[in-house]
Amino acid sequence: MTAPLFEVRAARKSYGDRVALDGASLRVERGEMLAVLGPSGAGKTTLFRCLAGLAPLDAGAALLHGHDVAAMRGRQRRKIAVVFQQFNLVNRLSALDNVLAGRLGHVPAWRGWLRRFGRDDIRFALECLDRVGLLDHADQRADALSGGQQQRVAIARALAQQPDLIIADEPVASLDPHIGAGVMALLASICHEGEGGIAVICSLHQPEFARRYADRIVGLRHGGIVLDVAADACDEAALHQLYGGAAIPAAA
Amino acid sequence: MTPPSTGAEARQGAVKAALAGHLARRDGPGRRLRLAAIALVVGGLYLLCWKLAQIDLVKLATGLPKLGHWLAQAWPPNLSELPVFAERMAETMAMALLGTTAAALLALPMAVLASRNITPFPQLYYPARWLLNALRGIDSFVFALLFVAAVGLGPFAGVLGIALHTWGSAAKLFADHIENAGTGPLDAVRSTGAGRGTAIVYALLPDLLPVLLSTTLFWWEFNVRASTVLGVVGAGGIGQELKNSMDLLDFSRLFTIIALILVVVTALDQLSGWLRKKLV
Repeated sequence: MTAPLFEVRAARKSYGDRVALDGASLRVERGEMLAVLGPSGAGKTTLFRCLAGLAPLDAGAALLHGHDVAAMRGRQRRKIAVVFQQFNLVNRLSALDNVLAGRLGHVPAWRGWLRRFGRDDIRFALECLDRVGLLDHADQRADALSGGQQQRVAIARALAQQPDLIIADEPVASLDPHIGAGVMALLASICHEGEGGIAVICSLHQPEFARRYADRIVGLRHGGIVLDVAADACDEAALHQLYGGAAIPAAA
Repeated sequence: MTPPSTGAEARQGAVKAALAGHLARRDGPGRRLRLAAIALVVGGLYLLCWKLAQIDLVKLATGLPKLGHWLAQAWPPNLSELPVFAERMAETMAMALLGTTAAALLALPMAVLASRNITPFPQLYYPARWLLNALRGIDSFVFALLFVAAVGLGPFAGVLGIALHTWGSAAKLFADHIENAGTGPLDAVRSTGAGRGTAIVYALLPDLLPVLLSTTLFWWEFNVRASTVLGVVGAGGIGQELKNSMDLLDFSRLFTIIALILVVVTALDQLSGWLRKKLV
């Protein structure tokens, strides 16, 4: 068995006395979409911040191709793209300029400072915008776009990074169900149709989205992994266990 | 919102067209010309301002040694008149405190009138804003100049000057805070059957009070600094002594006063900053 594309080993993280991650482990393969479910406070956001290298782990490791994510500096980080719940676009920049931000890990710094990209980078950014269905909106300011469109631009920005892994932290939590389904379908198609085989790790609050779009579902509870099954094998009993299982007997 | 469904070649064409359009806009002659025109206008404006302000670097070069010479004369400081300076400084601080307090009290009702979201008289919104803008546009210094003519020399004219200018400035800031505060709690309290005034006091004031007080402290701090010069126009305070020293070319006296102002203003800044941190 070869090394997985991305792997988390016994991740541990606490804030003061509060343990946020208590030995969570997971792995994801090329072209695989992994959904992370769990009740609020289970440690999803902490896990994602650590996976993206935005916060250090206390113990354990997150490995991309066997290399520790925490040790990645600067341009190496472009291999992991992050999609945020609140999109995090630069409001005053055009959709295209926001997508071009995904090229900053590829081009010399002065191009970023002057916001002056080469022809190939612009073409690639436009292709990424086209991939998310927003080529016609390239020159529109980010804050003039709807929420769903903004998240699509953010996904195009992630694609422009040419990442091996996309980490999406509740990407549809700020969108209505219909628009959210569109964004999930887009993420799934990027994951499954992409030639390079990009992996996606996506946290969600809607189990039905996880079952419909993900390949595998991981359940996080009290900072540990309590569920790790194929999406079509994830039944109501498993979800009940994940979200409320422990609380029911206590209440009864 | 539908993902592209057309053939790959058609999509390639669309991307190509978009790229060509983008590059044409970025590098085309229209944009270059516009940039050149803007550069020319802005450059000309700065040149004109340079002339109007009579910038003369030679004068600066010859004037600086003079300043150095005065600085050398300023030591040792003249402490013999310190009691007088202290009294004048106290006068300055009293002016700032009274002027700012009066302004803050006057600003509260004006701020309600000048807040689009809670004003009881929407037709007075613009007149209120205009009045505040007028008060804000005239500096305390100018008001003090007028009041010296009306009520005579002395700190009272300074208090009036500070109060009027700060009234406009503080009320505008208050109103901006009120307009930025969400009206959600206000709507909620109103729908319990409370009257408008009650709702404002009950729903808005608790959230706004720290910010308003903090703004007032900021103005007090600002006015202590501003009122150090009001004496120059005869409106009392330490500025009077400052001007006398300059007129007499008594530099050790002058720098003693400046040092005193620096010490007091710094101390008050610290105090006000500390108070504001406690509030917010």
